[in-house]
Parts: sequence; structure tokens; C-alpha cells
Amino acid sequence: MGYPHKPHPRETVVLSKHFGDPEARTYKGWVRRGGYEALKNALATDPAAIIEEVKTSGVRGRGGAGFPTGLKWSFMPKEKTKPHYLCVNADESEPGTFKDREIMRWTPHALLEGTAIAAHAIRAEVTYIYVRGEFTEPLAILEKALAEASTAGVFGNMKIYLHRGAGAYICGEETAMMNSIEGKRGNPRIKPPFPAAAGVFGMPTTINNVETLVAVPHILKNGAAWYKGLSLSNPKSTGTKLFSVCGHLAKPGNYEVTMGFPLKDLLYELGGGMRPGRTLKACIPGGSSVPILNREESESCLLDYEGCVEKGTMLGSGGVIVFDDSTDMVYQIMRLARFYAHESCAQCTQCREGTAWTTRILERILTGQGAMKDLDLLLDLADNMTGKTICVLSDSCAAPVVSGIKKFKSEFEAYITGKKRPVAA
Amino acid sequence: MSTATQEYQAVFAGKTRAQLDEILTRYPAKQAALLPALWLVQRERGWISDRSMTEVAEVLGLTPAYVKGVVTFYTMYHQHPVGKNFVQVCTTSPCNICGAEGVVRALLEHTGAKDLGATSPDGQWTVIEVECLGACGFATPVLINDDFIESVTPEKVPELVRKYR
Amino acid sequence: MPDGLINLTVDGVPVSVAPGTLVIEAAKQAGVLVPHYCYHPGLPVAGVCRMCLVEIEKAPKLQIACATPVTEGMIVRTQSSQAKDARQSVLEFLLINHPLDCPICDQAGECELQDFVFQEGRAGTRYAEYPKRFNPVEDFGPDVLYVANRCILCTRCVRFMEDVAQEPVLNVSERGDRAYIGIHPDARLDHPWAGNVVDLCPVGSLLSKDFLHKARAWELDKSASVCTGCTQGCNVTLDVRDNVIVRVRPRPNLEVNRYFICDHGRMSYRWMNRGDRIEAPLVKQDGELRAVDWDEALDRARALLRGTRGRRGRGGAAVAIVSPKASTEALFLARRVLAGKEREHEWTGAFQVTMGEEAPLAGVPNLALRPERAPNVKGAELLGYTNGVSSALRVAQTAAVVLVLDEPDVPAHGAGALIYLGVTLPESARGADIVLPIANVAEEEGTFVNRDGRVQRYFPAKPAPGMARPAWWALGELLEAPDRPGSAAEAFDLLAGTVDAFAGLSYAALGVTGKGIGQGAGVPA
Repeated sequence: MGYPHKPHPRETVVLSKHFGDPEARTYKGWVRRGGYEALKNALATDPAAIIEEVKTSGVRGRGGAGFPTGLKWSFMPKEKTKPHYLCVNADESEPGTFKDREIMRWTPHALLEGTAIAAHAIRAEVTYIYVRGEFTEPLAILEKALAEASTAGVFGNMKIYLHRGAGAYICGEETAMMNSIEGKRGNPRIKPPFPAAAGVFGMPTTINNVETLVAVPHILKNGAAWYKGLSLSNPKSTGTKLFSVCGHLAKPGNYEVTMGFPLKDLLYELGGGMRPGRTLKACIPGGSSVPILNREESESCLLDYEGCVEKGTMLGSGGVIVFDDSTDMVYQIMRLARFYAHESCAQCTQCREGTAWTTRILERILTGQGAMKDLDLLLDLADNMTGKTICVLSDSCAAPVVSGIKKFKSEFEAYITGKKRPVAA
Repeated sequence: MSTATQEYQAVFAGKTRAQLDEILTRYPAKQAALLPALWLVQRERGWISDRSMTEVAEVLGLTPAYVKGVVTFYTMYHQHPVGKNFVQVCTTSPCNICGAEGVVRALLEHTGAKDLGATSPDGQWTVIEVECLGACGFATPVLINDDFIESVTPEKVPELVRKYR
Repeated sequence: MPDGLINLTVDGVPVSVAPGTLVIEAAKQAGVLVPHYCYHPGLPVAGVCRMCLVEIEKAPKLQIACATPVTEGMIVRTQSSQAKDARQSVLEFLLINHPLDCPICDQAGECELQDFVFQEGRAGTRYAEYPKRFNPVEDFGPDVLYVANRCILCTRCVRFMEDVAQEPVLNVSERGDRAYIGIHPDARLDHPWAGNVVDLCPVGSLLSKDFLHKARAWELDKSASVCTGCTQGCNVTLDVRDNVIVRVRPRPNLEVNRYFICDHGRMSYRWMNRGDRIEAPLVKQDGELRAVDWDEALDRARALLRGTRGRRGRGGAAVAIVSPKASTEALFLARRVLAGKEREHEWTGAFQVTMGEEAPLAGVPNLALRPERAPNVKGAELLGYTNGVSSALRVAQTAAVVLVLDEPDVPAHGAGALIYLGVTLPESARGADIVLPIANVAEEEGTFVNRDGRVQRYFPAKPAPGMARPAWWALGELLEAPDRPGSAAEAFDLLAGTVDAFAGLSYAALGVTGKGIGQGAGVPA
């Protein structure tokens, strides 16, 4: 199981430099590659200075929300009266996204190093790395790396534990994750209180995504200015980003590019373009929870937080799902809705009932039983499911439905009018 | 099938108990060891019975109902016995458009499990569809027990099944 | 406006509340009920039903009123089109899997889903042709059935068992629209306070077996009362249909029982409906008890009492054996009848109380089913009655007169006369000289004093049978004419003016939730 491709010349290889290099997985190999130097320096630095440096770098959370990391760290109480916790979100579950898995598989020590720096910066005694339950291989690799690095004593008094999930997409939501760590159902919590005030076990907590933390040692090593300079378009989006490209593409995989990179080039150059004889129909640039782009929008979209918003979508987790002209969009949107119906935690009414109802309507349209008014109903339900619940799972179900109907209405109509043969759903 | 007269053997004894005791040191609250404890039960027993939930509850100072509420939330905990080889196939959109449903059909046929969630007559195989395994670039990923296998196609299924039989 | 309060407006109504108050509670004070399901003031906030979404000026999106604390100058709108649309959509979502079997549902008429849908739901459904979720009815415990199909997953029951009863036997099982309220197969919902989940359920999902199909909500008359099950003095509502008590439910009183009652109290109402009542005053004539009218019975009783007073100097004492379930007014007047206005006559008073096991509600301080299973033990003690009847019974052997107030289980008859006031005629009273029929707690008004010295009023829920009258009235009539109270209120105010412990209290000021007696006021000598 090697890494499937050599870096493309247009990639900016920082985080993925050692992908495919089995030696980098070992403690010795990692140290030989300059690993744990940044941590050593960080441990000798005042936490406030580290937070300041990370703030200056402009790095934003890579889990999906894009919240400035340094700012998040600075929310932790200045006066330390309680234990602080760091939770590492390695529950990568957003359909279309598989970058954190690759980071953990190839560079587990990069994650541990970034984790330890963050723990030092927020003055956390204990860290839980929440690894999604299905990630058996990354978990085993992390376990080994953690044991090696602990034996080598690189973490000092910090405690870092792995906590395995057990099959629940919603645990990637930070408050749900904290509940899951506490041995509860993975239900998102109402905010406030925010995690920095009362997080896991009621204590001040910071939750960071794997990719975010892996960038931190590079920021400290090369300086915030260097990181800030990595920006092709909007200066508010800095650094490199791993894009997981999947679906109908010649060369799916993870590609690391500088923020602001054109989506078009990612698809056609790095990803090898469409399969022979096929053309691009649609693309979801930030994981399944963000609105779908049509071909024109995709080919003019710049991959940073602002560039995606400009096209009416979001950068999200950087999971790029590519659909070519063979795709039945109605079926795939139903499939995405079904995903959210399956994963809804059942707390909020709109989400529990709305995701399932949306799925049922889409299934009915596919079986040729739909009516035109079903499309209006879907849009109305989507509106009722957006911005009204504790977390955004319900909004995420609505996003592909709304953008799908808007941009591919004729495909829905074809099923409804009988122009297209019904399919089993 | 076990008979009703069979005595329940505790999961948390000897080495497994020692493992749980180590896990308990990681958290400031006993309850936090619930997910790891359930993983240990599943490792030892293959699934998590109502009786085992009661044992976990006793060990961690919870109620059986509480434990059951948690078990039913997480899809990876088996509430029923499953085949020796438990096969999870991703069929969410990115894999779906790359032919995941064909992989499911091939697996159901070649393992003899026939229906999703059912166990093959020889007790060897249970195949289920799951939502996103997080390896969308390597469609179709299949998790057989703890082995994560990438880029499975219907054509590769017979060989795969042979390997595990 | 007083200092330290937060000022806001709800639907244009200005209101000032304490800091930390939730918008939903502030709205109540402004006279606005924000529709809600998961929120309950006696439970931790869950914020999951999303029904109480309101518009708050300057907030980017709708906020749930149940989890949003007030801020100074906040402008809340519950009737904006956005808020109304959001609530209407929640109702629609809640109904898609709801069976709409209101005609056979016990909750109909007092169902919050029914009420809010009627108030602001959609006229028709858009959830066409799909099957609804189905789960079988489950037997959760001795008195609780779970009708899963009606459940709206508000989780009030789960939170009650987890946080208030602190015995989490209920859970939310599964996820998404497959979720339901679960119980471990080996567990039962048999906590001594479990019945509260039925009251808490906003729909007809958790039902009382005791009340199952007994009455429609709109047929019930409701009266404020106080539970007679123990000395805690939980405030309750008696639900009456055709002059029969069919249900007892908690009545909120933050000082005593918050929103809850125990199952013992909940189930202790059947005796109030007993049919074997004394319906007329009885007097002994030729060795037989004979029914007479009140005038004759009271004349006889007054004469009897006057006659005994002269004999008291010769050791002819008077003894009262009373029930600790009797009203404070009756207990006071019984003493007065025997001891006189200035307590110039020698008297002895005593009661006995049935004991049971204590059952606390863990999540609420100072709330338990108390071992003393009677409501007015404290009242009796404050009025000089002794707990334990053995020495009183010895005195009764030679007493000139023994007065028994509704205590059927103490054979108090000695050499002297016996006046018995009771709801039924027990064996022990068949030798009485005079028997006066009295009302039970559901048929009269009066007060009890709970174990913490809180004096609480209860109100009549149904008429007393036949000629039965409240005990305070019957006893009052035995006093000299100018002293006779004309109402329970006059009886209480007479008591408050006489007995130090009750000084400063007035019947009217007790209201419906009671008042504590002055701290440190001793038992009258």
C-alpha cells in the first residue's frame, strides 16, 4: 500500500513531503528528517509567544470551519486555575476527505509533534487524539509512533492518549467529540459554553484538526512570515492545503497546493483530468457538506476560503468530489442525503426528521413517483433545516439538495416527467 | 446457540481487566473509559450482548440502560453476533460513482452472505454497507475485520474472499 | 426599576428580570408563552426540540429561548414571521412520524403537540404517502407505558431519570429518525418517583397505567390540594370526574416539591372515593346508634361536654385521639373543645402515625417520601398532641370524655363518654355516644403543616356525601355560640391569634403555596 503518486511539480510539498516514505514513520527516521526540533525549541519558548507566531501566520483550521488557529488558542484562560485539555480531531469522516488519514499513515510523528507544541501553547496537561474507529491502520501506526516517541521522552510530562471512535460521523463536530471522549453518545452540545471555557470534562479545552497541527512545526521552524507568504489569492488564506481529490478523475489522491490554487488546475493538471471521453459535470470542493459547483463555477474557482465563498460554496475540509457527465446527480444527491439521515444524532427535530424526509422524497423521485411540487417541498424543507439546529449536520444535508436542484433541475424533472427511466433507490 | 443455563463469563478478568485498569488511568472520570471498554468486549466476544452491557455498566459505575444508549449510537459496536469475517463496504457518493454497489453485489454473492447484514450459512461472512470509510480517493475501500483494503473492484472480490475463507 | 435587574422587551412588553434568567422564563413574566417541548424548568436544558426559536434583535439567526440568557436592552420577538415559520416547520417535522391517534390517546386535551399544532401548525400535511415510523408499545415499569410512535424525542423523561432521580434507566437508543426512548431489557422504570415521567411527557407517549383510558382531559375538574401521603406536604392537583378522584398530579411549588410527587403519593387517592361513608350524625339511644339531624346531634354533644366538665376535678380528664391527617383547624378546635378558651380544663391529646421507608428524590434537596405517612404530624405536635397514643389511652380508661377525630385504629373507649368524628364507622366507634360524619380531605378546605413548618392550604375537590360536614365545622359548633368559626378561614385565624407558633399568619395570606411558621416559635406549653 504505497502512496499512489509522486509529487506534481505544481504542488507545494510541505506537509506531504514524506508521504510514501516508510522510514519517516519511525522515531529515528523522523528525527533524521529534522523532526521534533521544532518541538524542542517550542518547549523552551513562552506559550504566549508561540500563540502569537501562529496568529501571525494566518493559519486557519483545516477541519472545515476555517477558524484562525492562533485566535482559538488565545481563548484558553490566561489564568490557569483548572486542568487544560487538547483534543485532536482525527475523526476524519466528511465524504470526499481522506487527507488526515494519509498524514497519520505516513507521518504520525508530524502529528505528535504538532500536537505536543499545541499542548504546550495552550498549557494542556492531557491530550486525546480522537481517531475515527474505521481507521484501523492509522491507529496502529499512531500507537507505535506514540510509544516510540514517549520512550524517547520527547513529550516531557505531557500525557497524550489515543481515543478510538466507534462509527459516528457527528463525532467530528468538536462538542460531540468531547461527549464521545467522556463516554457519552456523540451529541453536539449547545454553545455557549464554548470549549475554551468548559470543554471536555468541563475543563478549558481546545480542539484542533490533524492537518492544522501538522502545519504548526513548519510555521515555527520557517517563521510566520514564510507561512503567510504562501498565498496565491486572498491574503486571509495562507499556507498550504491538502486537497483530497476523488470521484471521476484519472488520478485521484491527495495534492498539496498553496492556498488560492485554481480548482481547474487541480482537476485537469494534478488530478489528470477526466477519464477518457468524459467531461466535468459538477464538483463539490469542500467535502459533501458544501454546495455543489457546476462545471463553469468549478473551472473558475480559486481554492481558498474566500474564493470558494465567492462561488457560493465553501472550502470546508478540502475534500474535492468530482462528477463527470455520466453521473446521475439526482441519485448522488439522494445518496448524500441518505448519508446525513444515517448520521443524524437524533437530537434536533429538524435534523432527525428532515434528513430522513428529504431522503424519502429523493428516493421517490428516483423511482418515478415524484411530482414537480416535490422540488419546492425539498427547497422549503432545506430552508427549514438550515441555521436552526445545534450543529450544522442538518444544514449540510440541505446544501447539496439546494445547490443540486438549482443547478441540475432538468435531471430532477426528467425523473418526474418520466423522460428518464426510474431506478431502484 | 448458547443455552440459557450457561453461566456468564466476565469479560473483565485477568489480562483484559488489567488492560481496562490501564485505560482507566487515562481519564479523570470512569465513564470516559466506556468506548474503550466496549471495544475490549467486542474484541473478546465478537459482539456486545445485553449481559455484557450490564457487566460494563457494573465495572464503570453506570447503568445498563445508559450503556445501551451509547452502544446503539455507535455503528461499529455489534449488537448481534456477526460472521467470522465482518465486511464493511463504503457506498457513499464518491465510492458510489466509482462502482461501490457492484462491489457490494460481488461480495454478497461470493461470500454466500446473500443479504446485507445477514450472516452466511457457514457463519463465515457478514457484509454490510457503511457510510464513508474516509478513503474516497481509493474507491472502493472495504474493511474486513480490522484490515483496511483499498481500491476493491468487483473483479478483485473472488480473490479477496478466497484469502479470508 | 430595582438595581441589578436586566431590562428587556418581549413582543413589545417591557420586563425586568434577574441576571441569568433565560429568555423563555423572562417571556413568561411578560405574559408570553414561547411554545416549547424539551424545555422544562425542573430539568437541565437540552435545547433539542428547537420549538422555542425566537427572533432576537441583532442576533444573526433565530435563537432558542430556552438556552439564551437575557441581556440588557434585548428585544425579543416571538411573533415575527421568521420565528413563526420556524415553529411551524418544527411542528410539521414532529407530526410526520406522529400517529395522530388523538381520539384514543389519553393525552388529548392536555397535549402540547395538539395545542401548538392547533395554535400555529399547518392546516394539512405535506408528508404524503410515506409510511410512518412504527415501534411497539413497551411496558416500562409498574405504572408506565411507552407508546413509542407518539414520542417526539424531547428527552424530558431521560433527563428526569438521569439528573433528577439520578437513576438513569432510560436512554435515547439508536440515531436519526430511528431513535426511540429505550430501557435495558433487564431494567424496570420502578424508581419511587418514576411516575413523574408521565407528567413530564408533553405528548401521550408515556402513559400511566392507573389512568389509562379512565377519562378525557376535558372532563376533569381540577382542585389544588396537598398530598396526604407523608409529612413532606407536596402540592398536588386532584383531578375529578363525576365527583370521583381519578388522578393526582404534582402542582409546582419551588419551596416544597418543585414539579414532582412520588408514586406513593400519586397512588394514594382511592381512599378518598370510598363508598362506605357515614352519611348522617348518629347518637346512642337505648344502646343503639340512631341517625339524627345535626341540630340534635350537636345539642347532645354540647350537653355531654358540659356535663363532663364538672366531673373533671375528680380526675375526670378529657382525652383527644386524633388523626395526623386531620386539618390544623380541626386539630386546634378539638383541643379547644376539650381544654376551653384559656385552657382551664385538663386535657390530653395524642395521635399515632404509620411509618414506612424514606425515599428521597436525589436531585432535589430536601425532597423525599418521608417515613411518617401523614400530612399533619407537625401541625398536631405544634398544637400539643403527643406522638404515640399509649399514655393517652391509659388516661382514657378513666377519662370523663374521649374525643376521637377520624382515627379508626385506636380503641379509645374507657369508662367515660365517647364522641367520634369520622368519615367511616369503624368497629372501635360502635360503642360511641355520638358519631359525627365528617368530610375527607378532598371534600373540605383547610391546612396542613408540613415537616418544615410550612402551613399549606388545600381546597375542596368534590362534595361530601350525605350530611357529612368538615371536621372544623362540627368541632366549632361544639364551642359556645360566640366563639364558633363560620369558615375554615375564621377557624385558622382564630388559631393564629391563639397559638404562638402560628402568630402572624393569616389564612388568606397563605395563598395556594403556603407560608412558613415563624422560625424559633416554640411548641405552646
